[in-house]
Amino acid sequence: MNNARLVILLLLIAYIFSPTLLSWILDPEGAWYRPFIAWILVILLAFVMQIKRKNYHEFD
Amino acid sequence: MNFDLSQVALIGLGYLLLLFGIAYITERGWIPDSITSHPITYILSLGIFASAWAFYGVVDLAFQYGYGALAYYLGTGALFLFAPVALAPLAELARRHQVHSLADLLVFRYHSHAVGALTTLCMLCGILPLMALQIQAIADTMHILTVSANPTLPNDESGITFKAMMALSYCVILALFTISFGANREQHKGLITAMAFESLLKVCALLAIGLLSVFGVFGGLDGLDQWLMDHPENLALLHQPIHTDSAHTLLLVFVATAVTMPHIFHLGLAENPLMRNSHTVTWAFPLFLLLMAIPIFPILWAGADLSVNLPPQYYTLGVPILYSSPGLTLLAFVGGLSAATGAMVVISLALSTMVMNHLLLPSLKLRTKDDLYSQLLWIRRILIAAIFLGGYLFYWILNNQYSLTNLAMTAFIETLQFLPGTFAIVFWSQGSRRGMIIGLSVGTFIWALGLLLPMLTGINSISLGLIDAVIPVGPNYWSEVTLISVGLNTLCFLAFSLLSKKTSDEEYSADLCAADELSHPVRQALDVHSAADFKTRLAKPLGKVTASREVDNALRELKFSINERRPYALRRLRDQIEGNLSSLMGIHLASEIMDKSIPFHTAESRNTVDINLIENRLTQYRDHLTGMAAELNNLRLYHRKTLEELPMAVCSLGRDMEVLMWNRAMANLTRTPSEVVTGSYLEDIPEPWCSLLIDFSRSRETHFYRREIELEGRPHWISLHKAAIEGPIAEGVFDQVMLLEDVTETELLEQELAHSERLASVGRLAAGVAHEIGNPITGIACLAQNLRYESESPEVLDTANQILSQTDRVGRIVQSLVSFSHAGHASKSEFAPVSLRDCASEAIQLLSLQKDKRQVLFANDIPANAIIAGDYQRIIQIFINLLSNARDASPDQGRVMLESNEDENSVTVTVTDEGTGIPPGINR
Repeated sequence: MNNARLVILLLLIAYIFSPTLLSWILDPEGAWYRPFIAWILVILLAFVMQIKRKNYHEFD
Repeated sequence: MNFDLSQVALIGLGYLLLLFGIAYITERGWIPDSITSHPITYILSLGIFASAWAFYGVVDLAFQYGYGALAYYLGTGALFLFAPVALAPLAELARRHQVHSLADLLVFRYHSHAVGALTTLCMLCGILPLMALQIQAIADTMHILTVSANPTLPNDESGITFKAMMALSYCVILALFTISFGANREQHKGLITAMAFESLLKVCALLAIGLLSVFGVFGGLDGLDQWLMDHPENLALLHQPIHTDSAHTLLLVFVATAVTMPHIFHLGLAENPLMRNSHTVTWAFPLFLLLMAIPIFPILWAGADLSVNLPPQYYTLGVPILYSSPGLTLLAFVGGLSAATGAMVVISLALSTMVMNHLLLPSLKLRTKDDLYSQLLWIRRILIAAIFLGGYLFYWILNNQYSLTNLAMTAFIETLQFLPGTFAIVFWSQGSRRGMIIGLSVGTFIWALGLLLPMLTGINSISLGLIDAVIPVGPNYWSEVTLISVGLNTLCFLAFSLLSKKTSDEEYSADLCAADELSHPVRQALDVHSAADFKTRLAKPLGKVTASREVDNALRELKFSINERRPYALRRLRDQIEGNLSSLMGIHLASEIMDKSIPFHTAESRNTVDINLIENRLTQYRDHLTGMAAELNNLRLYHRKTLEELPMAVCSLGRDMEVLMWNRAMANLTRTPSEVVTGSYLEDIPEPWCSLLIDFSRSRETHFYRREIELEGRPHWISLHKAAIEGPIAEGVFDQVMLLEDVTETELLEQELAHSERLASVGRLAAGVAHEIGNPITGIACLAQNLRYESESPEVLDTANQILSQTDRVGRIVQSLVSFSHAGHASKSEFAPVSLRDCASEAIQLLSLQKDKRQVLFANDIPANAIIAGDYQRIIQIFINLLSNARDASPDQGRVMLESNEDENSVTVTVTDEGTGIPPGINR
């Protein structure tokens, strides 16, 4: 509940950048492993969120 | 390159032995807990998701659909990425209600046995192609390694071929291993560790082949780029198929796998503590999938570059063979074997549980006289063997006609049919059993018609007699079959759920499962009164031995004793036994047995909230609460602490006289700790509190003043006050809160005060009497003096002197009494020099008047020069107190000695007697 603003912001960013991101990922001229780069970024994001969550709970 | 059959068989057998050895030594505790309980182990164990199809078949999928193949990973990856939202509620339900399969969960949610049976049946049909896929992959790869020197697949043969024999022996060995190891429900830790090892091996093998493809075949990433530039059709192949409809359907097909595939449910949701406790899975499992996915395209291209003479689905094996690397070839083979084995073992375990719980046990009558466990174990063993046999038969009937992709799609599309019903478990409480059954039946019927039947019989079109139309069916039309079956399934589910009326039981279960659960755990009453009663009750359905063992197990898990009588504890015991039984024989049978043997009284069931259970749950979930809920919980804790630390004894009672709260002061007062009392009925708490509290709670009065009770042989006085609390659910239902006040000290002080008041009035009376006596005595003294002057007779004079001395004595005594009774009125201004010796003598004089008391000898050794400033009468009072105490403590004719020491500023007087001293018991 307290991070609802963050979620909305993320959705907004995702909405604005998704066409660019998708066309970048699927660009036939680009490297074949581009989807995997996006994938790694998502994993990193999830990882960072988990670390943050852990810290938050340590101060609880 | 060609391997000897015995070599390959030996390697395969050795690997299987290693895998089951790991499970075995884990169970033995030879592998440290830090490894077996590590999150990485759990994450890796989830890797059974990637079966032989992910090892071999996905390359074919990539060949057909380019980037669309990644849907296989993305669907599941996304589900795990959002695990706290998407999977955690299911995992929580599974844990709370001891659910071990999707069928159990659906039965629990829809409160219907038919749902369980139908789910199991559909799951069985849907999973057989997946098992056939694993068998086919193993048989094919063994054939490639051993028979064909130039790696090719054999031409279609029929009957019992060499491959069929290898497939059969693989199935038999695996079935034997699974039966000997996995049939026992206790050994899940070993299974998880073994599966983690299996996943680790296959991801390493796949990565190794990927690295071989990039660096061995293409000479590095630059070489690969150059090759792609030279062969642009490969890059086009990557992008082209995404824009077709089927690629989108792929994502749909794979999205549900994590929840609906029985083996993934078994390991991921039912057995895995990770899903509930940690967010590690949100990134670690997608990472695992990424590692599995990255090598796919390089392997595909390496296979194309080397012109492997195999269908793309076996490029993973073909690339190292053509690269002439026996080590990597064997690694690839073992990786594939590993992937297939992991999936097969867990699928057979999960399916055997489902079939046993939902198809066999409800219709089978177990002989309760015999050992129930061994009966169940044997049923499970037979079922595991039957499932392996079923998988093999399916493989044999299909006779290698279909690619791994076809088989996988068939299986995945059927499991997709469970998605609407599963989604509604947590997120849509309107979903009804009728909707679920009809939706699933329709979806499965279309799937069977469109994919399963054509696969088994070879037909490729169905003609509709009436309108003379021919509908093409078969694996090539998987996309259409998916959309139509899932679409109609969802539609039927929605329509029939909204139209049908749900029973109250069903509604209750739906509410229990809902994600925004605001469930009021209702406190239900049991008609059993001790844990031992459970054994007697359960002996009938389960048999004496099993019942006793199950009750003991549950008691041990809850850390309760067999003498437990608290209703709260008995309710928890009932839940625990039901959970344990449901893991033994399925949720439906377990709840049936419990409802029949140890039913809840429903009469007052929905009226009282189980406060203890709510508190218990809140304590468990404390770390999971966020935002407003966490704030509220903190507030609750604060209030609870306030009550707990309140320096007055407080307890609260439910309407049925169950103790709900018992604070620390109450525990101190009653010398009964809260843990022992909370949750018990009032009549079970120790006397004298039991009768006192029962009287008070039944009384119409809201206060009891100074009730006398006996505690540890001494009287105590307790004041009680109470108030009614309106229950949280139903209006007009009142709990009670009671406040107890220990007024023993006040009572004793008051008694003492009354006593001294009585003494004081006696003193005043004595003073009056003394005054009255003084007048006649003075008269007598005057007359005696006159007598001295009126007579010369020595006898008369002597008598007069005697009379005078006696009256003098009487006068002194009277004077002492009068002045003693006036003591207490003196103020500080009347301080005067006082001789302590004289004071002591006066006190001794007064004390010697009490003839009824024990006679002692007072020795006044205080020197005459011990003089202080003080109030004469009060100092006498001090001496009287000291000396009378000393006299009381002394034996008859004992000596009491008075001495004094003085320094510059003070005089210290000591009183020494020959008594025994104060006994240690009173010395408090």
